[in-house]
Amino acid sequence: MARETIVAAKCVNCGKLSYPTHFYCPSCRGTKFEPVPIEGEGKLLTWTRVYALALDYADLSITLGIVELDMGIRATGRLRIAEPKTGARVRATVGTVRETGGRDIPGLVFVPAETA
Amino acid sequence: MRDVAIVGVGSTQFGRAQWSLLKMMCEASHDALVDAGIGERKIDAVYVANMGAPRNNRMAGLSSALVDRLNLYPHTVSETIENGPASGASAIKHGVHSVASGYCDLVLVCGGERMQEVNNFEATEFVSFLSHRYAEYVYGVTLPSLAGMFTRLYMERYGLEPKHLAMVAIKNHANGALNKKAHLRIPVTMEGILTGPDAWNNNPWIADPLRFFDCCPVSDGASAVLLAPAEMVKQFRKTPVLVAGIGQATDSQAVQERPDPTELTAVRMAAERAFAMAKLAPKDIHVAELHDAFTILEIVESEEAGFFKKGQGHKALERGETKIGGRLPINPSGGLKARGHPVGNTGVSQIVELTLQLRGEAGDYQVPNQPRHGFAVNFGGFGNNVVATVLKRGV
Repeated sequence: MARETIVAAKCVNCGKLSYPTHFYCPSCRGTKFEPVPIEGEGKLLTWTRVYALALDYADLSITLGIVELDMGIRATGRLRIAEPKTGARVRATVGTVRETGGRDIPGLVFVPAETA
Repeated sequence: MRDVAIVGVGSTQFGRAQWSLLKMMCEASHDALVDAGIGERKIDAVYVANMGAPRNNRMAGLSSALVDRLNLYPHTVSETIENGPASGASAIKHGVHSVASGYCDLVLVCGGERMQEVNNFEATEFVSFLSHRYAEYVYGVTLPSLAGMFTRLYMERYGLEPKHLAMVAIKNHANGALNKKAHLRIPVTMEGILTGPDAWNNNPWIADPLRFFDCCPVSDGASAVLLAPAEMVKQFRKTPVLVAGIGQATDSQAVQERPDPTELTAVRMAAERAFAMAKLAPKDIHVAELHDAFTILEIVESEEAGFFKKGQGHKALERGETKIGGRLPINPSGGLKARGHPVGNTGVSQIVELTLQLRGEAGDYQVPNQPRHGFAVNFGGFGNNVVATVLKRGV
């Protein structure tokens, strides 16, 4: 799992970073992109702890948040943070976020920034 | 372009269906045709609004099935419109365009959804298909979770408190208790859901800061309207209601990409377009049905539609301005919160409710002083596809 990366798209024409990706670059309508791993630190914009889950979950609750990353994009992901607070510094990691049909789906998991 | 009027409306009981999806849709359609006094007149088109039948009810091509059961073949044009939870108003928009253009005269629009055929996990799952596949859905994002994240940010920015969310639920449950067709007819109190000793048992977290009573129920139900060109309304027996304006707008699929995630840009733009088409302004509206799938949405939509300034919606609510009898009654039918939210049908049911209000036929939950102008917001995804409608009594 640790080898997996989640990527944003950098427009080859204008350099604009977007996530999630669009067919056209939101800045210049370019159609060629290169993948850029989503990594580093950012600020927790908002979060929720969800108790009414859809199918495929063994957990009673999951914690989700939207993070404003220093790299210049926002991303939604799981939070592995005991007591989340808006504005807190967090760091992006990759882990299993969903198990569907026996398949582990990798995704962004945010942890407190000071975690080693 | 011709003016288009609503000449008949019908609706089933909302809640847990006693009938199959198709039977519900037949009953709602029949009610609308009887209400109009259709007689031997020919229906030119049938538009069906539905979101979940292929998955939840193992049925596809619902409009053909409805045309078959109503014996409207082979002359009738028909289509099923899937536009998420905004399917209902989208189907009405297509009906209005068909009549306005002269392509059709009489158009039946029927919304139907039977969600309780699957369990709650499956219902939550199929609605979460609306979220962005790999940037939201795979993380376990559900519609309540998007609403929870939105609410937290909104509360921090505008000073909204949990009591304001509870006030929306209390108001809409009180209204729903007066509506015989509502799914939930149980009045709730501040003590029962927020301040009393049992409040946390009665009202557990769903996606904090949202609790159980901040979320709409999973409902079955069908509704129908019959549309006709304004020049034909004299042939029908009820007070006609003009579809004065319809506006629609879309927004980014992933909520995270919006420049300001506390703004519902598509609601604002759809409302502006509907008002411009109707040549009316928010101050002219006497009754509104807003898409309160979550309590926060009623407050924020009331601001984005232009009824109150940004950050002021909860203050108007607190002052009682949005109650039946207030300055601008919002969701006198109980809204999605209490009337219920059969997802693909909701937009049609909002138009049925407003038509009853403008005709003065809403009975126990009738808004006083003979309202002339009504307004609806039908909200798809988490604000990524929104239809706003302005209705006007008379043609």
